[in-house]
Amino acid sequence: MSNIQLNFTGDLHKKFLLNFFKSLPSFYAHLESNRLVLAFFSAAGLEVLGELESLKPEKKEAFVQWLYSLQVVDDKNKVSGFQGTSILNSAENRGQNSDYRWGHIATTYAALCTLLVLGDDLSRVNRKSIIESLKYLQLADGSFKAAKEGTEDDMRFVYCAAAVSHMLNDWSGVNVDRMVDFIIKSISYEGGIGQGPGLEAHSGSTFCAVAALALSKNLHRLSRTQFKNLRRWLLNRLNGGFNGRPNKPFDTCYSFWTGGALKILKAYDFIDTKECQDFILTTQDKYGGISKYINVVPDPMHTYLGLCGLSLMGVYELSPIFCELMISERANNHLKNIQEKWKRD
Amino acid sequence: MKMSDSSDEEQDVNYVLFKDRPDWKDIRPIEQDDDDEIVAIHYTDKFKDVHNYLRALLKKGEKSERALELTRVAASENPANYTVWQFRRDILKTLNKDLHEELDYIEKFILKQSKNYQVWHHRKLLVDWLKDPSKENYFTTLILNKDAKNYHAWQHRQWYMKTFQVFDGELDYVDSLLNDDVRNNSAWNQRYFVINNTTGFTEEVLKREIDYTLSKIKEVVENESAWNYLRGLLLHDKEGLSKNKTVTNFCEELYSSNSQSPFVLSLIVDMCCEQVQEGSGDSIYTLERALQLCSDLELKYDKIRANYWKHMADTIKRKASGENVEEEPTTS
Repeated sequence: MSNIQLNFTGDLHKKFLLNFFKSLPSFYAHLESNRLVLAFFSAAGLEVLGELESLKPEKKEAFVQWLYSLQVVDDKNKVSGFQGTSILNSAENRGQNSDYRWGHIATTYAALCTLLVLGDDLSRVNRKSIIESLKYLQLADGSFKAAKEGTEDDMRFVYCAAAVSHMLNDWSGVNVDRMVDFIIKSISYEGGIGQGPGLEAHSGSTFCAVAALALSKNLHRLSRTQFKNLRRWLLNRLNGGFNGRPNKPFDTCYSFWTGGALKILKAYDFIDTKECQDFILTTQDKYGGISKYINVVPDPMHTYLGLCGLSLMGVYELSPIFCELMISERANNHLKNIQEKWKRD
Repeated sequence: MKMSDSSDEEQDVNYVLFKDRPDWKDIRPIEQDDDDEIVAIHYTDKFKDVHNYLRALLKKGEKSERALELTRVAASENPANYTVWQFRRDILKTLNKDLHEELDYIEKFILKQSKNYQVWHHRKLLVDWLKDPSKENYFTTLILNKDAKNYHAWQHRQWYMKTFQVFDGELDYVDSLLNDDVRNNSAWNQRYFVINNTTGFTEEVLKREIDYTLSKIKEVVENESAWNYLRGLLLHDKEGLSKNKTVTNFCEELYSSNSQSPFVLSLIVDMCCEQVQEGSGDSIYTLERALQLCSDLELKYDKIRANYWKHMADTIKRKASGENVEEEPTTS
């Protein structure tokens, strides 16, 4: 337990996250498909630390270029969006559409968030095409798959669809009634919400569902009983640290998944998070980064979500989070300004 | 995000890169287009090589035996690459391959990578194509033996059970899991799922399930899973939360035997709340009792949620005085 520290080591986390803007060792190869998501967690993590400026302007510019190089605009096959990686791309098919070159809804969400965090004005985002393609990802039961073919469908992608629609300020790609219906049907007898109907309630899917309802302005569709049971289930996830399901161990990431959902439901102030704060501090690695449990290898996702969890507690002067989009308030205000401009245009 | 298991080939000193394989001489490898050092992964030679040939085959649209072999290596290098799996399925279809063989292959894969979405999805599509769920009970049980709360395994299990209507023996299985670990929340959830999709919660089933659950709570009182299940059952009681004598007697007994479990206390609070609201005259579920319990929870037994209990006390008080204080879930 040599790496337990009960001081917040923000500088080390900054160093840890900055490493992801350089070359990474080969053991990250299993995360190759989600390079864009890694980039999102790293950039957004720096933002929460108030350290975005430690990315040099040239680096930021190259970063934005790279993100746009992953945008697919394909109105013929309706697969527009952002790829998570350039692994399928070659100099020969640069800027062209080809088989299997499809946007993915989770990386489209992450790309838009990252662009906002970096201060980009989204002017190169092909909003119409992305929204048009979104229609083809919604299934008859209201849920979403992530790409044209070959992916599962669940609450994670419902959230991504809602967040993308909200950010692009255009809900015409989503049948909102069906989406809400799917969410309501996924409420478990426990009060929380699962990845789909019948499935065990889970803090991750519950966050996705609550945020999707909030972004689409449909929280009122929960009945009073559903609302109260949902809130009670979420509040009970705190037992020192937060777990994601009853009788499971604490995990850093649920400090945001659960905490964020409680915040959206205006119930975050009902809990005392001091012990949880200490728990997160114990999951800091001595070389920087935050991990799932104590003495486990840290990663950008748990680092970002741990930082977001601490931000919700209002400690260490971390940037405030706009939970519904899982980005900083500042990035969300930037989005509002962009949307105002779109309205004027 | 855990480190990937090293693949079998990595330990195989005889592994030959595709660029050195005679039967691949006709293919010109295609390099990846990415100059920027943003989350750039330093690939191994093997990783780079297989993807150079993957890009070449995707461009060519070749669906052949050797393409199938290539996807096997690519998938072992990065199992999360959903495109590789999609390409592999397209090849399987084109070549009209024996899907039972593929089931065996993915079974071994999932045993090593049991928390990866893509491999489970692959298995689901194979079962769907074959319209044959006969191996799935065995297979998911194998995974659940290693981790009885594996969400992917339960999701898969619910999918084929519902799709092919095969629920036989499942309640017994759930029962055995709960005998092993009464706190296994996934097993409780499965119990609800099976009943909901078979008999439904008839009066008779409800009675049986309430007895079952109370006996499990007697074993371990501090078990949120069982209490949640009990509350779930009471959602089916038309009379509400506070009228089932078996449940109310059980709770009162626990309470008078000095149980300070927040689960008991909070259920009694909700029972009081229901009766106070309805104005029914059951003397033990009163406003005063609710307030006392909320105060006990706030100050002694559930301090981590103290503000919640203050809020609950306040809400019940105002409700009792006839105010309409129902909280509405609102969008900010």
